[in-house]
Amino acid sequence: MKRAALRKLVRLQLSRDRRGAFSSSFGIAIGVASLVFFVALGLGVGRVVREKIFPVDTRLVDVVPSQLAIGLFGGKLDQDAVDRLARLPGVQRAYRKMNVRVPAVSFYDGDFFGRRLRMGIEVLAVGVDPDFVRADVQLGDFSDPGVGKPIPVVAASRLIEIYNKSFAPARSLPQLSATMLVGFSFPVDWNRSFVASVAPGKVTSSQLQVVGVSDRGLLAGVTVPLAVAVRLNQEANVDAATFTGVALQAASPSDIPAIVAAVKDMGLRIDDQERRMSENAGAAVAITTSAMALLSALICLLAAFNIAHALSAAVRARERELGVMRAVGASRADIFRLVLAEAVVLGLGGGLLGTITAILAALGVDMLAGHVLPEFPFKPDTFFLVPAWLPLLGVALGVLAAVAGAWLPARRASRIDPARVLAGQGA
Amino acid sequence: MISVEGVSRGYDDGARGTVRVLDGVKLEVAKGEFVAIVGRSGTGKSTLLHVLGGLDTGFTGEVTVAGTKLSKLKDGALSRFRNESVGFVFQSFHLVQGLSALENVMLPAAFAAGEGGGEAQAREALTRVGLGDKALRLPSQLSGGERQRVAIARALFNRPQVLLCDEPTGNLDAQTADEVIALFKSLNAQGLTIIAVTHEDRLREAAGRVVSLTDGRLST
Ligand SMILES: Nc1ncnc2c1ncn2[C@@H]1O[C@H](COP(=O)(O)OP(=O)(O)OP(=O)(O)O)[C@@H](O)[C@H]1O
Ligand SMILES: [Mg+2]
Repeated sequence: MKRAALRKLVRLQLSRDRRGAFSSSFGIAIGVASLVFFVALGLGVGRVVREKIFPVDTRLVDVVPSQLAIGLFGGKLDQDAVDRLARLPGVQRAYRKMNVRVPAVSFYDGDFFGRRLRMGIEVLAVGVDPDFVRADVQLGDFSDPGVGKPIPVVAASRLIEIYNKSFAPARSLPQLSATMLVGFSFPVDWNRSFVASVAPGKVTSSQLQVVGVSDRGLLAGVTVPLAVAVRLNQEANVDAATFTGVALQAASPSDIPAIVAAVKDMGLRIDDQERRMSENAGAAVAITTSAMALLSALICLLAAFNIAHALSAAVRARERELGVMRAVGASRADIFRLVLAEAVVLGLGGGLLGTITAILAALGVDMLAGHVLPEFPFKPDTFFLVPAWLPLLGVALGVLAAVAGAWLPARRASRIDPARVLAGQGA
Repeated sequence: MISVEGVSRGYDDGARGTVRVLDGVKLEVAKGEFVAIVGRSGTGKSTLLHVLGGLDTGFTGEVTVAGTKLSKLKDGALSRFRNESVGFVFQSFHLVQGLSALENVMLPAAFAAGEGGGEAQAREALTRVGLGDKALRLPSQLSGGERQRVAIARALFNRPQVLLCDEPTGNLDAQTADEVIALFKSLNAQGLTIIAVTHEDRLREAAGRVVSLTDGRLST
């Protein structure tokens, strides 16, 4: 069948019952719109979870010492154990972490970004191999500056987010950005605490200077160079030889399971709390999204039934016309294609309409959220993610639903017996 | 041009079993003949015409039309045969509503295997039936006689070898019927083979030969 003729005949048929065509397309549009909307929402929220709330690096494994001393190596995380971890197959780098094992307190009394601030807080600090956060360091080279000099620290991006969205507004403190924060200095007193018992040694003071903001920073504290942690621990006569944890960087995420197994064989533990929380949150989002997608698919199924119904009636009403086409040379396949082509146009129309509606609705929701919802930590600029394949999927689903609905009517149309419908009198 | 040999066609009629409508029909039609088929209602005239035109495939026997052996042709080849070798004219015109006269005439081009005829060929067919000036009218804007002439132009569009007409004047008043009969005569005079099923005396008289279908068989 000629393409131009097909176009003309399809247009003719659709123009005969505009309202019917519109209502058929509309059903599909609703299903497609809801699918595109909810999948975009699921992807968008999933991205927020993945990138902002629980920014889990899929190539990192956190190793911590075993609580129970078992076996030959006793689950201790000393340099020897780190060396062995670094040699495990699939491990690219091993980044050591050591808590500063003396308590610390910061008394701040002075200008805080244009406001006067008086505050005392407990400070937790962890030392890490500088390379672990190097990419996020914007000032200096993140090494031990030596006794008496300001200690470079890296702050956690999530801490700033929580500060900005809940702490700062409640205390009417200024909003902070990473660039503002870099260079900021504040004092700490080591071996001093509001809550913990302190060692008999003396209290020493130093300045901490923020040199970067990183996803890899300690959430509830500051991150310092490993050498600083070792030095402070040595000065306080506490354990400066074993590590609090080791972050193993795998060559690829697929190496992780083998690395995890090997780590367990060494009598060490994996700290996968963050990863599990991230996975649980991700799974919750995925399940909700799937449920909504299923609902949308159901709507499309209903739309397909609707189209099947409408086309059946239309085919019955134009039996004679289809018979004439057969008489002048249309094959069964031609008739089948003609009816299917009508459905493809309905599906394309509905799919496009639905996809556009969904994207506009998503923009609307984002705008509304921006104006109406209060600020809260990790509140994203957009709740939606529309990858290029999503509109294509939407339109394809529309066409698929329409074609599925049209299949049986088209087959019935192709099997009309022209001899039966053409002879005798009639309109 | 047409050779029918031992053609039978039965319909499954539920409880009564198979009803034989055609029962060993034999018919030879030479090129350029104008044959009228007559018979009482329900004797199978339309059925025979559908067999000749490749619209009915449920028959047994040998049918050859314009050099094409119809038995055992697949749907695609049979459709091509209908498209290129024969033209149908029905009692009820069967124009496609919403398409202009010209577009109706060109309908066969939509299903042509090759290039198919173009608009010029459609206009030529319309001129042949005397409707050259009404090419852009819709069927609803044409009289019954004009509609039937558009249908004839559609049948002529692909320059078929045979015109198959099923009571072509059945829905027309006497005067309009005469015009259509005159058209058939002139087409036949130009060499077109015509087979027409009819109850109409004047159409029967216009034909060069009349065959009668009784009890599933043809007699002269
Ligand atoms: N699809 C069918 N199924 C069952 N019986 C059929 C079918 N088509 C036709 N018949 C029967 O076959 C017989 C011949 O029908 P046909 O239409 O060929 O008659 P006809 O000679 O053209 O009649 P008329 O002059 O009224 O047009 C009739 O008895 C009709 O009931
Ligand atoms: Mg009949």
